Amino acid sequence: MAKLLLYLTLATSLIPLFSVAFSPENPTDRRVLVLVDDFAIKSSHSLYFGSLTSRGFQLEFKLADDPNIGLQRYGQYLYDALVLFCPSVERFGGSIDVASIVDFVDSGHDLIVAADSNASDLIREVATECGVDFDEDPAAMVIDHINYAVSNFDGDHTLIASDDFIKADVILGSKKIEAPVLFQGIGHSLNPANSLVLKVLSASSSAYSANPKSKLSNPPSLTGSAISLVSVVQARNNARILITGSLSMFSNRFFRSGVQKAGSSIKHEKSGNEQFLTEISKWVFHERGHLKAVNVRHHKVGESDEPAIYRINDDLEYSVEIYEWSGTSWEPYVSDDVQVQFYMMSPYVLKTLSTDQKGHYSAEFKVPDVYGVFQFKVEYQRLGYTSLSLSKQIPVRPYRHNEYERFLPAAYPYYGSAFSMMAGFFIFTIVHLYSK
Amino acid sequence: MVSGGSDSNSHLFLPQSLTTSFQSCLPHNIFLNVWGDGINCWQALSQSDGRWRYSSNNPESSTFAAGIALEALSGVVSLASSEIDQFMIGAVKNDIVKLFDSIEKYDDGTFYFDEKLVNMREQQGPLATTSSVVRGLTAFSSVITESLNLPGDKILGIAKFFLGIGIPGDTKNFFDQVDLLACLENNRVSIPLILSLPSTVISLTKKDSLKVKVNTVLGSHAPPLTVTLVRAFSSSARDNSIIENQELKFDPQDAVYFLDDLPASFDVGEYIFVFKMLVQDSEQQTVYATGTLTQVPIYVTGLIKIENAKIAVLDSDLGSVETQKKLDLAGESTVSVSANHLQKLRLSFQMSTPLGNAFKPHQAFLRLRHETKVEHTFVVGSSGKKFEITLDFLGLVEKFFYLSGRYDIQLTVGDAVMENSLLREIGYVELDLPEPPENASRPPPQPVDPYTRYGPKAEITHIFRAPEKRPPEELSLAFLVLTILPLFGFIIGLLRLGVNLKNFPTSAVPATFAVIFHLGIAAVLLLYVLFWLKLDLFTTLKTLCFLGVFLMVVGHRTLSHLASASAKLKSA
Repeated sequence: MAKLLLYLTLATSLIPLFSVAFSPENPTDRRVLVLVDDFAIKSSHSLYFGSLTSRGFQLEFKLADDPNIGLQRYGQYLYDALVLFCPSVERFGGSIDVASIVDFVDSGHDLIVAADSNASDLIREVATECGVDFDEDPAAMVIDHINYAVSNFDGDHTLIASDDFIKADVILGSKKIEAPVLFQGIGHSLNPANSLVLKVLSASSSAYSANPKSKLSNPPSLTGSAISLVSVVQARNNARILITGSLSMFSNRFFRSGVQKAGSSIKHEKSGNEQFLTEISKWVFHERGHLKAVNVRHHKVGESDEPAIYRINDDLEYSVEIYEWSGTSWEPYVSDDVQVQFYMMSPYVLKTLSTDQKGHYSAEFKVPDVYGVFQFKVEYQRLGYTSLSLSKQIPVRPYRHNEYERFLPAAYPYYGSAFSMMAGFFIFTIVHLYSK
Repeated sequence: MVSGGSDSNSHLFLPQSLTTSFQSCLPHNIFLNVWGDGINCWQALSQSDGRWRYSSNNPESSTFAAGIALEALSGVVSLASSEIDQFMIGAVKNDIVKLFDSIEKYDDGTFYFDEKLVNMREQQGPLATTSSVVRGLTAFSSVITESLNLPGDKILGIAKFFLGIGIPGDTKNFFDQVDLLACLENNRVSIPLILSLPSTVISLTKKDSLKVKVNTVLGSHAPPLTVTLVRAFSSSARDNSIIENQELKFDPQDAVYFLDDLPASFDVGEYIFVFKMLVQDSEQQTVYATGTLTQVPIYVTGLIKIENAKIAVLDSDLGSVETQKKLDLAGESTVSVSANHLQKLRLSFQMSTPLGNAFKPHQAFLRLRHETKVEHTFVVGSSGKKFEITLDFLGLVEKFFYLSGRYDIQLTVGDAVMENSLLREIGYVELDLPEPPENASRPPPQPVDPYTRYGPKAEITHIFRAPEKRPPEELSLAFLVLTILPLFGFIIGLLRLGVNLKNFPTSAVPATFAVIFHLGIAAVLLLYVLFWLKLDLFTTLKTLCFLGVFLMVVGHRTLSHLASASAKLKSA
């Protein structure tokens, strides 16, 4: 009986270790809450959801106004990521609202928001909290009369074929997306002062955002390539957000349809939507572009243990190991632009670390001849990668009294004078005592 | 199974169990009981609004259950065909009509059945519910002799609903969709006929013709029909119909109905075409559900002529033309003009449709972009065929943030029905604006190129302090020699003076003491040298203590001996 109790307590105490949730050692999200307007989306967008479940995500579908939904219970988050495919929701059910979604993202979790041409104010507010501004006109859609997708049924040029992608392999994958991406919905703009948002798919310079049914009397507020069709935000805590103005971009219909851009004679059999959205979902859910830096070490050249203090004009070596999460394991990260700074109020030394191609980076330099408390700083920020911010404090002391040069040629006259005085004294004692 | 009584009614209900049980029961007096039990079921579980309950225990009524019930009843009727009570059949038909009162519809004319039950564990969605109802009533109608009078437009609406959802990703939904369409393809209630257009975009330049296809829901051929284009009107002028009551011709090869030629007065634009179908064989008209009128939006596209494009710089007060240049919007050439804030810039061109009518495109923008990437967009206004925009720089100086310099001019003209929408860099204008006053607003910040934001920074190496300048070594050596020279001078001087060692004690003991005394002095001096070279003060002081005491003893002996020797000499 006692043994059974013992085994039970052991088993229950080990359960937290077996959970495969989001954690710093395993940064890919696992449990995803998908909020939809109605369950028909589960069926009409099944290819996209299928691509997520085939990579191991557990999707839970709930109606956006279901009164039982909640992101956290008793202080613990129930999900690792949130997907909002509910453009027309007026009020979220349960305990979800804009503030709780912002808290969710602030705690490091990822978010995908898809609006559409009937987007409600609530979804626009969520997007504004994330840093993008949708067009205020509720009836506006993105129209492009030069880069539209040739179609027998959408004659009003709101179905756009766009291939103006961001040039980042880490976000869009290394394989080039051949076919343009079909888009039909509303556009948004980014604040130029915001350094965290990126335009992944932007509209061409002939695009504008307006109501296709009514004539324009004033120039529209969003025109040209300032209109972003798909944007991503990487927050400072490395939470990733994907915002787009077209829910139908994710639909099976767009995934399967062929595309021909107006003015071009190339007819692609399949649009680039599936490849584009699958690759960008991999990035949003941290399967790519997530870096960690471990094993920061520094020592004097020639020694191996880490001293507590350096002396000016010492030669030291700094090394760090950087790994990238590949979705299943940590792979060494290879790059030639990781830099270390030796910093006290401003960088005194900034050096590029050399790599051994297996994730180990090191650099050697001489300690400056200024003494004080310095920091080894590595601030690594690259497009699409999580930011690395390492800092290690180390004091630097000046020379001790016995570390200076011992004998100076400029002092030879003084040495000469002292010793010649001693020799003279010795001779004098002998001579003075014994001469007559 | 066939024991009668109300408590067994619940398991009589599933059609699968019914058919298997029927096959296993051979005596035909069973059939009478089946029919009787069927009536009992119907009386017990059907509701007045046409829906059925799942069991006598469950008070909720469900449309999905009604569909299953109808299928089961059709099985019962087909087996007990000799004992059918016509009153009962009539009552079931009334129930079906009442069931159709609960049908729901969308604004675009599609119909569907849906239900929201509180007590059921899993909700049957609209697809499953509608599919079960249609299955039930097509099965029922196939076994009864007279026809069910169901509203044809509702059947057509149900068919349009199921065709409009595309291909569902869920396998159960896909099964329900295909099952329902198969029931509707060929049934005795009414077969819906769907009118569709292979293309709703007609191009005047390619001389497309209007084609219409009519099929059953799964794509099979329809019976011979007359398809009439009742009205065609422009979406902006709904009262004025351009075509009225034009019959479409049938092309048996492609099985399409087409309109020979659009009338010559058909210009580009958005139109709404209204079609009507009628089955030619009047007996079959009740079998097929064709609906009343079908409205289809059509876009007629064509090439819009843009001509007579000019750009001119005008003087503000007089309106006289200072410079005027012709623009070639079809080609690639660019022009350059210059203006200052007292002048106006005017761009004008003419647009006309292929038939020569005035045309107002949805998008006609003139964009000026400064070197610093600040952009300003204007809408080009029009009156009739003439499009003109005049930029009065005097009023725009503040809007342009007082930025002088080169502005690139870009013209964008586009519309949904224009096949030749254009985006052209026309050239540039050198604009000379006055200096901004103190409190002028700054131009908005431009976005930073993300590719340059993230690059590696320039390397910094610390420049070490140069060591202090020291005198050259030769100088120190020269002075070393100079400082040693007095020693030699001293020795030479002593020799000149004629010093000697005559006073050195001759006897043994004082001599050794004297020698030891001088050696002691030498040892102390050597200790000083060693201290300078490598010793620290503590060992030096320790050694000096010992040496000092020793030297004092020896020195005292020697010096006292020397003093007594000289005193003897003096007294003598």
